[in-house]
Amino acid sequence: MCRDDRFKPCRPEKPETASSGSIPGRTLLAMTTGDGSAEQAAAAWRRAARARERARSAEEAAERYEQRAVDSGNDVYAQLALMLRSTASCHRSSARLQEAFARSLAGWRRGHGTRPKFMTGVAEACGTSSVALTLVDAGHSQLAVAASSEPARAAQDLEFMLGEGPTRDATTGCRTVRASCDAIEQRWPCYGPALTALGVHEVAAVPLDTTGRCFGALAVFDPRPGLVGSRAFADVVGALTRTVLLDSDADPELYGGIDHREVVQQAAGVLSVHIGRCVDDALALIKARAFTLGVPLETFARGIVAGDLKLTPEGPS
Amino acid sequence: MTTPRQHLADIFVELAGGNPDLPLDPPVLLAALAAHSRDLVGARACGVLVALPGTGGGEVYASEDAARDLILDAEQRSQGPGPYCRATGNPVPRTDLRRAVARQRWPHYVPRALALGYTEVAARPLRGREEPIGALVLFGGEEARLTDEALEFGQSLADIVAIALTRDLELSRSRTLAGQLEHALTSRLVIEQAKGVLAAQRSLSMDEAFGILRGHARARQRKLTGVAQEVVEGRLML
Repeated sequence: MCRDDRFKPCRPEKPETASSGSIPGRTLLAMTTGDGSAEQAAAAWRRAARARERARSAEEAAERYEQRAVDSGNDVYAQLALMLRSTASCHRSSARLQEAFARSLAGWRRGHGTRPKFMTGVAEACGTSSVALTLVDAGHSQLAVAASSEPARAAQDLEFMLGEGPTRDATTGCRTVRASCDAIEQRWPCYGPALTALGVHEVAAVPLDTTGRCFGALAVFDPRPGLVGSRAFADVVGALTRTVLLDSDADPELYGGIDHREVVQQAAGVLSVHIGRCVDDALALIKARAFTLGVPLETFARGIVAGDLKLTPEGPS
Repeated sequence: MTTPRQHLADIFVELAGGNPDLPLDPPVLLAALAAHSRDLVGARACGVLVALPGTGGGEVYASEDAARDLILDAEQRSQGPGPYCRATGNPVPRTDLRRAVARQRWPHYVPRALALGYTEVAARPLRGREEPIGALVLFGGEEARLTDEALEFGQSLADIVAIALTRDLELSRSRTLAGQLEHALTSRLVIEQAKGVLAAQRSLSMDEAFGILRGHARARQRKLTGVAQEVVEGRLML
């Protein structure tokens, strides 16, 4: 059993090429039947029930402190109650996200539409169709991405290729970033025009933060007016950070919805051998060439892996 | 309780963990709980028994050394109000240590407590999110009786500290999980890159390349990530 392949069991749509394993303290779905969707739905309902239970317990505690604040006139009790209310609110949001996913999975199993993504529910909770979750390393480089729609996914690839954009600013500065219309193009000279060309008029990115450690960001494209700064949005971000991604019972693969850009990484490995340079250089070359040629990154990478496309450090041949 | 209102408010803020942007120092917080509890409830002495996850055994912070030693000894013998309250999360009501029934229940503990001048004892839990994390033990003496009001107040102080500790534990667990997640994601990238390197070097499919990486790691009982990293950096040729 290898720890590095703990992602595999949650990606039932792809053939198993690696052994499955586990990481201490985490429960993985056991693949027993077909596409695994029944197990995923069951896990989502279980997580939702647990989140509701935690919300209830936090609310009960909050009520106790609210009463005590009234009885004693001490403001500390009121502050504790507020903190517990906020915790409860995050858990409720988390439960709603899990339930939304479980329901759409059930609908899909009955034969409606395409296989649902967890991020679709996140987008709906934000009142838009396009959101993207990006996980980054300590150097703020993208490690993985999950998007609700094609434009959101394309936007994250643009940031990945160009090394600039709202997700990068949100994770490096650990603060919320917002821009709309002309400001997008002014703020990010390469990314901006490419983003507006996708038809996006406004973008906001919020860091996912665990006190001083920023491990990702949620980007929202064309959010409904008033979303950023609202309680509901803060709860969605809190739910992602506190329970959906980081919890002893969490599935940070988002039910197979996380994209590790495997083909792009493989292509970097292949190209590094062809050009006799390190993998980081090869990856940089792939990003730059794909952007210059206007080819989707993954399509471009697939060509390299398949051997259809030969690159040299000087230019395409 | 004659403490001026503002002084009381300052103590509450201190016990709630102070500045939320600064990391919590649990030993300092627990020692403050013990000291303030004694002063504010008018007890003879107070001690806090805690068993924080990941710290091994129980730790004791008390308003005086004698109380600390008594509670620590009780914890080691699993006898007395502190260990009971910490283990079950149930409060121990005010108990007169001079009565025979107390001595029957805690034969080793009671004579020792009486010798220190503690004539009565009570315990209040520090409640965690899912299980108790500790107990506040309050000792009364001839000149310092434990009143109902004092015990209720002691529970309030214990609650405030318990919430601060629980929150701190949750934050540090989140940080640990974030680190594990980053490590897992990074490993995943390196393995994909190594598959590409190996596939190009030996004209293999990605699946075949992965088989070789895995086989090499298994045969040498090494982690796949380590092998992949060496392949990517050109330090290992397979």
